[in-house]
Formats: sequence, C-alpha cells, structure tokens
Amino acid sequence: MIPTRKHLYLLLFGLICTGLVQAQGTLSFHPCYGKDFLQLTDSGYQSKDKDSITISLFRFYVSGIELWNDGKRVWEEKNYHLINASDTSTFKISLSNIYTINYNKIIFNLGIDSTTNVSGAMGGDLDPMKGMYWAWQSGYINVKLEGTSPLCKTRNNGFEFHLGGYHTPVNALQTIELPLKSSDKIEVFIDLKQLLTNIDLSKTNQLMSPSKEAVELSRKLSKVFEIR
Amino acid sequence: MKKTVVLLIIIGLVVSAYKKIGSYELIVPNNWPKPVYDFNRNPLTSEKILLGRVLFYDPILSKDNTISCSSCHSQFSAFTHIDHPLSHGIDNQIGKRNSPALMNLAWNSSFMWDGAVNHLDMQALAPISNTVEMNETIGHVVEKLQQSPIYPQLFYKAFGDSIITGERLLKSISQFMLTLVSCHSKYDSVQQKKASFTTQEKNGYQLFKKNCSSCHKEPFFTNDQFENNGLQVDTSLKDIGRMMVTQDSANYLQFRVPKLRNIQYSYPYMHDGRFAKLKQVLDHYTNGVVRYKNLSKLLLKTINLTSNEKVDLIAFLYTLSDTAFIFDKRYSYPRDILH
Ligand code: HEC
Ligand code: HEC
Repeated sequence: MIPTRKHLYLLLFGLICTGLVQAQGTLSFHPCYGKDFLQLTDSGYQSKDKDSITISLFRFYVSGIELWNDGKRVWEEKNYHLINASDTSTFKISLSNIYTINYNKIIFNLGIDSTTNVSGAMGGDLDPMKGMYWAWQSGYINVKLEGTSPLCKTRNNGFEFHLGGYHTPVNALQTIELPLKSSDKIEVFIDLKQLLTNIDLSKTNQLMSPSKEAVELSRKLSKVFEIR
Repeated sequence: MKKTVVLLIIIGLVVSAYKKIGSYELIVPNNWPKPVYDFNRNPLTSEKILLGRVLFYDPILSKDNTISCSSCHSQFSAFTHIDHPLSHGIDNQIGKRNSPALMNLAWNSSFMWDGAVNHLDMQALAPISNTVEMNETIGHVVEKLQQSPIYPQLFYKAFGDSIITGERLLKSISQFMLTLVSCHSKYDSVQQKKASFTTQEKNGYQLFKKNCSSCHKEPFFTNDQFENNGLQVDTSLKDIGRMMVTQDSANYLQFRVPKLRNIQYSYPYMHDGRFAKLKQVLDHYTNGVVRYKNLSKLLLKTINLTSNEKVDLIAFLYTLSDTAFIFDKRYSYPRDILH
C-alpha cells in the first residue's frame, strides 16, 4: 500500500492524540535553581547569582505516588522512581489510566520506605548498581546533592549531602503533599536555591550517613517541592 | 531380609530427623525454627547456587582483582579468616574486625558484629566497595562480569538470559551462602540419639547450659541479639560496636552474639580476634569481665569454673565441630570453572 496524503494526516492526528493523552498521564519533575532550570552537564550547573554556587549532582527517589480528590484517594501506584538531574529522561513518570479521574492533590514520598529498605536486593531503579545504596550500613540513600560554595571551608569548597536512614529516630523519609489546580498534567518544581540559602553552608556541608541533621535537611528539601 | 529391614529403619530414622526447606534440597534438622531469610523472594536453584559459588571464589569482585570473598572466608576454617585477628583487605574499614564464620546464615536477622547490614543480599556490597560508600563500584563489577568469558553464560543458565544486574549478582551470592548449613556435628548426632557424649562432654554440656546458653542459644548457639559481654576496650581500635549503628549509648560495646558451631576451627576469637585459644575465652568469662554499666544482664552473676570444668566445657565445644561441613565438596573452590 502506498501511503497517501490522507494516511499522513491520519498519522499526524494519531500522533497529536497520543501526545495529548501522554501529557495528561504524566508527572514531571523540574529541578531548578531559582527561575533557572537545572541543566546538569559534565561540568555541572553554575549559578548565575552572586552566590557562586555550583551543583554537580542531584538525584532523589520518588515513591508511593497517590492522587487525591477532596479528601479521598482516587489513584495510587507502588513503583519507585530515581530522578537524576543529569538525565532528563528520568524527569517524566507516566501515570497509567488517570485520564478519566478527577483529582486536586498529589501525595508522594521523597525516598524509600522502611519495608523496602530491609527486603534485600531489588532491581530496576532500586538496583544498588544505581549508586543510591549505602554499603557499610545497609540502607537506601534517598537523596544525593553535591556541589560547591565559597561558604564551605572544605576541600575544594565542596558540599556533599547523602540523605537517608529508615530507623526512628533518624528516619529521613518525607511525605510531600501538593494541591493541584486542575486535573491537568502535573509539573513539580524543585527549587534548590531556596534550600541552599535556607541552610548555613559554612556549618552544614557534609552529611553522609543517617543522622538528625540529615532528617532536618530532608524536611527542608521537601518544602522546596512546589507547583508553579 | 533382616538386613534390609534394619537398613530401612535406619534410613527412616535418618530421614525423619531432617526436613527440607523450600523447593531446593536444603536439609536441616527437624527441630530447627523457620528461617528468617525469605526464600520466596529468591528461590534456590542449583544454577544460581553454582553462579554464587563461582562469584564467592572469584577475585574479579575486588577493585584490583586480588581479593575474593574466600580470601577472608575460607572453608577449612568454617569460612573465617584464621591466623588474622583482623581481616586484611583492600579496605581499612573491614580491617578493624575479625571475620566471622559463615554458616546457617538463613537464620540471622542482621549481619556483621554490629548488625550494620540488614539483609544477607546486601552483605556482599560492603567488601565489594572500597570506600565508605559504594559510588557505583558494583556497577564496575557488573561491567567486568559482562566482559568476562565465563559469566554471561553462567547468568544465562541461572536466569534464562545473560543480562547481568546488581540484583542478580547479589541474590546469587546469597544463594550460595544460604546453602552453607552446618548441622552434622557430634552434638547434632547426640540430639538425634545417634551418638552419645563422653562423661567429660556431658559435664561440659551441663556447664554450658548453666552459664552460656542464655546468650549462645541452641540450636545456632546465638540468641541473635547484641550483648555487652564485658570485654576490655581495645584503646587502639576504639570499636564501640552496636552503638555505631544506633548512635544510642545503651548499645555501647554491644556485639552480635556469635554462633559457636565449628568454634574449634574459627580461631582467633571475639570481634577483634584478641583471643587465640578457647581457654583464654573461658578465663575472660571467669576472671576478666569488666563491669560496664550496660554489661549484659545475663552476665551479672559471676561465672565460676574450676580448671577441670574449663577442660570439660571445651570438650563440649569441640562436639560442635562439623567436619562434613569443612570438607563438603559443594562449598569448595569451583576448580572446573575458575582456573
Ligand atoms: C577483607 C576481608 C573480607 C572479604 C574480602 C570479605 N569479607 Fe565478609 N567479612 C569480613 C569481616 C571482617 C566481617 C565482619 C565485619 C564487621 O562485623 O564489621 C565480615 C562479615 C561477613 C558476613 C556477616 C556474617 C555474620 O554472621 O554477621 C558475611 C555474610 C560475609 N562477610 C560475606 C562475605 C562475602 C559474600 C564476601 C565477598 C563478596 C566477603 N564477605 C568478603 C571480612 C571479609
Ligand atoms: C551475655 C551474653 C553472653 C554469655 C552469657 C556468654 N557469651 Fe560468649 N559471647 C557473647 C558475645 C556478645 C560475644 C562476642 C563479643 C565480642 O566479640 O565483642 C561472645 C563471644 C564468645 C566466643 C567467641 C566466638 C567467636 O567466634 O569469636 C566464645 C568462644 C564464647 N563467647 C563462648 C562463651 C562461653 C563458653 C560462655 C559461657 C561460659 C559464654 N560465651 C557466655 C555473649 C555471651
């Protein structure tokens, strides 16, 4: 069969439709620094502000995604997603079969729940090969954030935050709730500028194991997830 | 005819004293409790066990291809590192402690002297990575395995395709370690009424039950808990034990109660290998216990043993030796695959 112009129109129409459908069923994360999108290249991100901050690595787990409508849970999934600021293909999560559902709130976890933390080796985004697992003291690293700031009096002015821990009192898992204006595609922005200006980098710049400080920083990070 | 009947009865007895775990023939004594390890998440197969065994013996797992799991866990010493009080390796973290014997691991609820590892699958990550954190080192191991002449085929046989992932690697090593079951000591035969203790061993067993088995609980000779057994702190190592993991001073100098099966082979003793002989261990319990504030309640009553009683107790501990385990060919270096 030779494709005619009609076929091409049909194809085009089909593509647009799938595009629309997909757009409806996605949750996207946008790591940002202020108004800037965080594009992490090999040399990292360089802040355009006077603060001279650079960010070289930003990764975090999202899990337990739920959609709510007026106080009722209307949708949920049980998957684990690793979002990596240097790989834009990880920014979008497709949420299956949500087109017909009305919702006005999203709830999800920043990190990995304690049951999963003690259940042994797992695959996909949870594979320890992904570099988000502590070897010496078992447990997932919920968030990795690394970069430099002149405020850090460390080697190369670096800061390194590896946030995790699943035991009380150092359970770092955060639940994030965001109201949604309409049942539209869900775009979540993470403003690292708000986070990094809200902590004293001259004092807090190395968190590499479960601790109260890591819980506190995780809580602060959860507050800079927003719908714009 | 008579002979066959006797034989059948004997076989019957032998069979009834043991039970199988899961689909794979993991044979354990009838009175052993349910394993902690969830075999449903990682069902044993002979192909995966073989893959795990090859990995266990292959130095490809270390950064510089010099050290394998068996470098610190050798079969003839019940999979510990004898001669070395503190295990030597590429990593100084691991150099702080004596490597424990590996056996009956399906019944552990945590691993390492301080319980820092929460699942058997995750244990291998610690020695594989050469820094405090892994920084994708296991990713490099996977790459090396993909390029090796033997592993793609072994993974194919085990998993039905030759894709190598961290999950598959870790689960295979677990499979091999789960098969390291020690349950054929003289002690076991006595429990099954197939042998009897000498007078000396019997006396030792009574002393053991009176003084030791609250912590070193049968049949694994551990209560699977962390206890402070009153060892003097080694000021050069400053190892605070379980407190490292929990950050809680109640756990100061608590260590996992070690299993005592095959204790004859797994010297030196304690988390830092400070004692070379069992006699020294007993001298510690009778004369050396430091009265820490959080000394285990189970040691509050002083242990008194005469030197003859110590000899008897040691005779009992020797009945926990399982030569079938030490010489079991299924656990040995896979000569036909690794050269
Ligand atoms: C350099 C020496 C060394 C190497 C290599 C090594 N281990 Fe160990 N292993 C140790 C030491 C030491 C400990 C105890 C560490 C601690 O408690 O902090 C240990 C603990 C363990 C335990 C916990 C046992 C228990 O009862 O708590 C297991 C299981 C284990 N190792 C398996 C492995 C495997 C699998 C490999 C290879 C991937 C391996 N080891 C490689 C030295 C080593
Ligand atoms: C309060 C609990 C407790 C009691 C009671 C106890 N132990 Fe222990 N035992 C431990 C702990 C904990 C360790 C490990 C300590 C360490 O390495 O820091 C240990 C270590 C040992 C070891 C060294 C094992 C190895 O693999 O290095 C031997 C042998 C031993 N105990 C024998 C005995 C005997 C025999 C008795 C009775 C006289 C006894 N224990 C009573 C808790 C106890």
